[in-house]
Amino acid sequence: MDRGMVIFVGALLTFSSSWLGLVLYPYWQLQNEQPYAKSPGDDPYPRPLAGQALAGVRVYQANGCLYCHSQQVRSEKFGNWWEDGQMKTGADIKRGWGARRTVSRDYLYDRPTMLGTMRTGPDLANVGARYAEPWQHNHTFNPRAVNSWSVMPSFAFLYAREKVVGGQKAAKALKLGREWTVDPGYRWRPTDRQWEAILAARGTAIRQAHLAGAVARVDPDSPAGRAELLEFWLTTEEEDYQVVPTTAADALVAYLLALRKGETPLPEAKE
Amino acid sequence: MAPTTPMTEPERERSARERRAIDSSCRVPVLYFAASAVFWLLAGSALAVIASVKLHSPYFLTGSPEFTFGRVRMAHLQAVGLGWAGMAVMAAAVWLMCRLSRVGLIYPKLLVFAGTLWNVGMVLDVLGILFGDGQSVEWLDAPRYVPPFLVAGLGIVSAWTVATFRRRRERHVYVTQWYVLAAVFWLPWLYTVAVLMIFWMPATGVVQPVVNWWFGHNYLGLWMTPVAVGAAYYIIPKVIGRPIHSYYLSILGFWSLALFYSWAGMHHLIGGPLPVWLVTASVVGSMMMFIPVIAVAINHHMTMLGSFHRLRYSPALRFTVFGAITYTAVSFQGAVESLRDFSEVAHFTHYTVAHAHLGAYGFFTMIMFGLFYYMVPRLTGREWASPGLIRVHFWSSAVGITIYFVALSIAGWWQGRMLNDPNVPFANIVRYVTPFLAIRSYIAGPLMTVGHVSFAILLTANLMGWGRQRTGGPTYFVEPATGTAGGPRELAAAGR
Repeated sequence: MDRGMVIFVGALLTFSSSWLGLVLYPYWQLQNEQPYAKSPGDDPYPRPLAGQALAGVRVYQANGCLYCHSQQVRSEKFGNWWEDGQMKTGADIKRGWGARRTVSRDYLYDRPTMLGTMRTGPDLANVGARYAEPWQHNHTFNPRAVNSWSVMPSFAFLYAREKVVGGQKAAKALKLGREWTVDPGYRWRPTDRQWEAILAARGTAIRQAHLAGAVARVDPDSPAGRAELLEFWLTTEEEDYQVVPTTAADALVAYLLALRKGETPLPEAKE
Repeated sequence: MAPTTPMTEPERERSARERRAIDSSCRVPVLYFAASAVFWLLAGSALAVIASVKLHSPYFLTGSPEFTFGRVRMAHLQAVGLGWAGMAVMAAAVWLMCRLSRVGLIYPKLLVFAGTLWNVGMVLDVLGILFGDGQSVEWLDAPRYVPPFLVAGLGIVSAWTVATFRRRRERHVYVTQWYVLAAVFWLPWLYTVAVLMIFWMPATGVVQPVVNWWFGHNYLGLWMTPVAVGAAYYIIPKVIGRPIHSYYLSILGFWSLALFYSWAGMHHLIGGPLPVWLVTASVVGSMMMFIPVIAVAINHHMTMLGSFHRLRYSPALRFTVFGAITYTAVSFQGAVESLRDFSEVAHFTHYTVAHAHLGAYGFFTMIMFGLFYYMVPRLTGREWASPGLIRVHFWSSAVGITIYFVALSIAGWWQGRMLNDPNVPFANIVRYVTPFLAIRSYIAGPLMTVGHVSFAILLTANLMGWGRQRTGGPTYFVEPATGTAGGPRELAAAGR
């Protein structure tokens, strides 16, 4: 092997084989795939994203969501566990991540196709069908407001905290307790001194609201009662401030809500 | 290689003069690439530790979009994958090619320009991602304005490596040159096709992830691996003064790697929504990787047989042999991991992350460290300033990657088992994995970073001209006892 040409031709041929086999052949095999319509009059599935959802793809990409969330539901035969001495398969579907496996047709219009290789968080192929818009916003704003155990980053930077004008909160304002909204991205608690000051200023109103909620009655002036009052107050919404999604947050949630792979049955997705 | 007759003293002297002339011709660009690579390694380490902490302590740096996990994760992979590995490979490719072709580098300034293109590209890449232009295509996260810089720089380096080979004055072409030549030919093709088919003229749907993993796996397999294996083929015989065990095994190893590694990538998509035959083909490719791996293992380890005591002395050898042994281990693991039954558990988990780091760090990075310990003093004419700091570098890197690998493999395996059982709530999986991730953040990651900082200090000192002139032997961990096999005279002669 003392001749450069031998090495060059060999390297060319070996690499071409994988280029032809793994890249060009699937490209050719899948290039004519079409959306599916059960009968001629039906809306074809899938459809290209448009508007806000399309803009949301950029937000999803820019923030690297792919690095913790896959977008693929695997078949009923994939992944096994044991239950009562029997082997069962198909964990993805059993976890409720989708009603059926996803197939190549589901990704016809994805740019880029973000199948993912990591499940630090759950699969999102069908997340739009699993949770409604308010949940998506609350969870994106601060995942721990929804799941205390979550390690997902807060995307509070996609939301704006602003003063309420005209006494009426915006329709889009998140309905979250003040512990989540006072310091966006974090979980806020007043210091003892702040809490004393708040009680002195608005204590009566807070107590009334607390009683109206018909929670367990403890002597409101005992230490236990005051602690309970604080916990209660933290879960109530702020009066003067609201948190509203920015355009980017709206776009991201629109995209998440559009992620409904596995909702429409496809003939080739049987298992 | 057939054993050659020992050289006479004047021949030795002439040969040493020739090597010095070759080294001085490529000094500036090779050191520039090497120093840039180490800079990106440091940047990548910092990003790695931030990303790792964020994975178990979500309130850390939560306020700034620039440091959200997904962005830091992308920036980390770009910094270490392209910045460190890419530029280290180019430094190695140019120097090894000059040395083995026995010819000086022409127009070294053009390579400095190529290196600058890469550095500009990398700055745009990492900052672009942090400020929100990342692409979320694993290994190809660079914003759209980055690839032209990288392709142009890469094109120049590839052309120069080939040109140097064409001007060779040594008739015999050594195994390292095969690997380097093939790598500089493969990557420009690979990268251009991947960028074209994913971003500029996107292929339909699932063909994109197919191209993505064809690129991602081959970046490791046809760019980092060949040059690192080639470097080990160079360093081991050089330092211990013995020829490679078997020339024919090295031929087998080279061609089987070229054929099978390029087919291996699709196992990253196992169970996914694509034609099953694609994944099957890749599983076959992955299993066939046993052939090149065993061939290279026999060659590297049999060459070392009887010389292991020299690991006590030579930093270059110790790093390289650590990498070569890890190569065997990680490749065996990788082949088994590609099997469907195994992947059902390991896919989508930290197990894969542990495996990737064992390959990219335990194997590739350690061999590059070994090569740099050998190469840099010959380029600068200065020895390493502190054997103690080299020792710190070796042990913190070696122990760091070991802890990293063990912790994440355990975490990943059970994460996979639990993901496959729908009766286990997702919260339990998150809680189970957290302590292992904390071990990575607080023990393994910082240890590896300490190693990199030590290396950066050593390199800076060397480039600044601190450290003794290279007259006698290299800087050893300990001075070998005189008069025994592997004594300083023999080592110095072999290692000069």
